[in-house]
Amino acid sequence: MRNIAYIAINVVKDAARRKIFYVVFLFGLAVVALSPLLPTFEMGARAQFLRDVSLSLTALFGVVLAVILSVGQIPGEIDRRTIYNVLSKPVSRLQYMAGKYLGVIAALAGILAVMGLEVLVLIYVRLGVFTPVVFQGVFAVFLESAVIAAFCLALSTFATVPVNVFATVLFYLVCHVKTGFLHEKLVEGATGFVRVFSWSLYYVIPNLENFNVSLQVGYGGGVPATQMLRITAYALMFIAIFLIIGYLVFRRRDL
Amino acid sequence: MTENAISLRNISKSYRTGLRRKRKTAVEDLSLEVRAGEIFGLLGPNGAGKTTTIKVLLGIVFPEGGSGSLLGEPLGGRAAHDRLGFLPEQPYFYGFLTAEKGLELYGKFFGLDRASLRQRSGELLDLVGLSAGNHLTLDKYSKGMLQRFGIAQALLNDPELVVMDEPSSGLDPVGQKEVRDILVHLKELGKTIFLSSHQLSEVENICDSVTIVNRGRSVKEGNLSDLLAARGLTRITLKGGGPDAAERLGQVSPQVSRQGEETLLDVEGVRVFQALEAAKDLGMELVSVKPYQQSLEELFLETIRETSA
Ligand SMILES: Nc1ncnc2c1ncn2[C@@H]1O[C@H](COP(=O)(O)OP(=O)(O)O)[C@@H](O)[C@H]1O
Ligand SMILES: [Mg+2]
Repeated sequence: MRNIAYIAINVVKDAARRKIFYVVFLFGLAVVALSPLLPTFEMGARAQFLRDVSLSLTALFGVVLAVILSVGQIPGEIDRRTIYNVLSKPVSRLQYMAGKYLGVIAALAGILAVMGLEVLVLIYVRLGVFTPVVFQGVFAVFLESAVIAAFCLALSTFATVPVNVFATVLFYLVCHVKTGFLHEKLVEGATGFVRVFSWSLYYVIPNLENFNVSLQVGYGGGVPATQMLRITAYALMFIAIFLIIGYLVFRRRDL
Repeated sequence: MTENAISLRNISKSYRTGLRRKRKTAVEDLSLEVRAGEIFGLLGPNGAGKTTTIKVLLGIVFPEGGSGSLLGEPLGGRAAHDRLGFLPEQPYFYGFLTAEKGLELYGKFFGLDRASLRQRSGELLDLVGLSAGNHLTLDKYSKGMLQRFGIAQALLNDPELVVMDEPSSGLDPVGQKEVRDILVHLKELGKTIFLSSHQLSEVENICDSVTIVNRGRSVKEGNLSDLLAARGLTRITLKGGGPDAAERLGQVSPQVSRQGEETLLDVEGVRVFQALEAAKDLGMELVSVKPYQQSLEELFLETIRETSA
């Protein structure tokens, strides 16, 4: 099991070497740039606006980072043939993939934590209020990014990088807009094939809107613990499904 | 239990290529045995299927047919991997590491602790002729230096079996000689070595047995000295003779060639007198009669020519 840790650590080091962690500065600049746009109404509304907007921005960064971090992990090592030096050691393909995923997740967690801190500090400096509740939102963003990363890593076991980026973006979009659309279809009482099809899609495709808690966090009330638990379990389920599918492909793949 | 370090039986592997996913055979019905403690050479021209065979052996690609064992473990598993070392063809490593850091990383996969790892790294860098304390990262290494680093990382776990795909490619003659010396040294330590090569001079003196592959098939195999001795010929060197001398001599042995003034005739032992008589009839002058051993390179070229026809 230590092999998984070594591979994960290497993913994080590689991210550091590629200077990916610098995005936290970019993010900092972006949230600072947003703050002059603050509406001039009363205090509570301004804090709400800042939390809401910066969380949405965090979510955007999280998803983009999830793709950037995952997409090249396996194809890159195959292209450069560095994978042979690892898989010829007593390292199984399962350990390899698990290590890659955990490394991506660790890098994401680190970056998102710093981003959350930046939002916290910004709101404190601008408005003088301390709102640790933003971390609930950041955690939800982390869960969503982790699902996207699992999808992208699984796909990278057989898809080329451009195809993968395209498919993952499409997946992300579909998973965000589909709920309303499919639900309408169901409620409108579609019949026959359409009904069966939309029902199954409704349950098969993850509903990424579940991870959008920016409104709740925006109001400052926070997210109930049961809901946090529920979305965590929801994320874990899809992560497991994607990684298992990816592993089943990777296990028998010629390298 | 077999005493063979490696055995492959009837391995076949093809790749799907191109837009139409047409199958292209890389290895076909290949069998080979490598005894523990020997240096085994898998020889063949480019594209013969050497790398594919090695990848099958290590579970990097999966064959369509055949079976085999690696250090007593079935093919495709991981159970043997802590007892073997592998040098890939044209190896490439994480470019941002120095040699020492690289060995540290790869060594961890074998569960070596930091102290023994440090000592082992020092010894190995010495062995392959890379100086420790060199702060160049691996992406700045020349081909030859990468090859040396590759050999070092293949030996980290003090393996029973070392598999090397074209170990001296990219090395100059001095480097090639050094690699040969390392291989012989490893054999003296009791290790089994499986290497592939298309450069025969580099393996001629060190291989105990070889399998020659061409177009994915095994075309000749055996103990190297037997293979060459079986081809033991006598070379008769002659001078003079008429314009049809070569043709007449060709009836005795097909291996006639001209070298300047001289005519070289390679014949099997039983035919020496017959050849000499023919030469005398042609009025040729005898320069020398010597036992002549074919080189591996000639055997190789002849085998490839015969099997490519
Ligand atoms: N990944 C691959 N995809 C498609 N064809 C391949 C692949 N690897 C090797 N081949 C083909 O298989 C044959 C054998 O290749 P290889 O095993 O690399 O030969 P060698 O190592 O003896 O030069 C060649 O014709 C090569 O083009
Ligand atoms: Mg090759």
